[in-house]
Amino acid sequence: MVVRLLGISDDQLWRVLAPCSRWARAFREWYQRPSISEVRGCELLTEWLSAEQFKQYGSYNYFEVIGCHTGNRYRIRHGTGMNVYELDDVGRPRAGWCFVPNDNLVAGDVMLAQKIALETDERAALAVAKNFSPR
Amino acid sequence: MAIQIVMDRNGDTRHNFDAEDLNAVSKAERRFNELTGAGFTAAIRTADGDPVVTRTFDPTAEETLFFPRLVGG
Repeated sequence: MVVRLLGISDDQLWRVLAPCSRWARAFREWYQRPSISEVRGCELLTEWLSAEQFKQYGSYNYFEVIGCHTGNRYRIRHGTGMNVYELDDVGRPRAGWCFVPNDNLVAGDVMLAQKIALETDERAALAVAKNFSPR
Repeated sequence: MAIQIVMDRNGDTRHNFDAEDLNAVSKAERRFNELTGAGFTAAIRTADGDPVVTRTFDPTAEETLFFPRLVGG
């Protein structure tokens, strides 16, 4: 239809569209690339993770921490909010906790602040956190 | 060289200072007090790598990390 309207052949149309498709793909990849801030945040996070947490994060995009007061286990998923889950004895999420730094930070920074808070002052972190259902 | 790392919208900002230089240490202490006074939490790492929150400036700390106050999301 388009080919007939423009009075060009399929081959000519393809020659015009192919570069556009490549440019669109290149633009999408550029647009979706992690920003320098995000990369820096992830680097800082991984510097502070324990060896076990580092391994977990690399494999599953989350890592687990032990709360310093209760000994409860928490899973911190990659993200900037609603990403902390308290786990039950068999490792299933039983509660979700949402607490974040009060500035607009990248995921790595947010996760690092959450890790330090749970490992050093769990009660204070949970006191400000909002509870949500993990399902 | 010691370093203070402050989380911010750019990822973080790093301030290196010479722990042997009294002026630099004084400036670092002022920064510590300003940040913690503004609600930032300061954390250092033990030799084992475990994080510890510190309320007072430690001029011997090689690395101090500051993150903003936590709030419910």
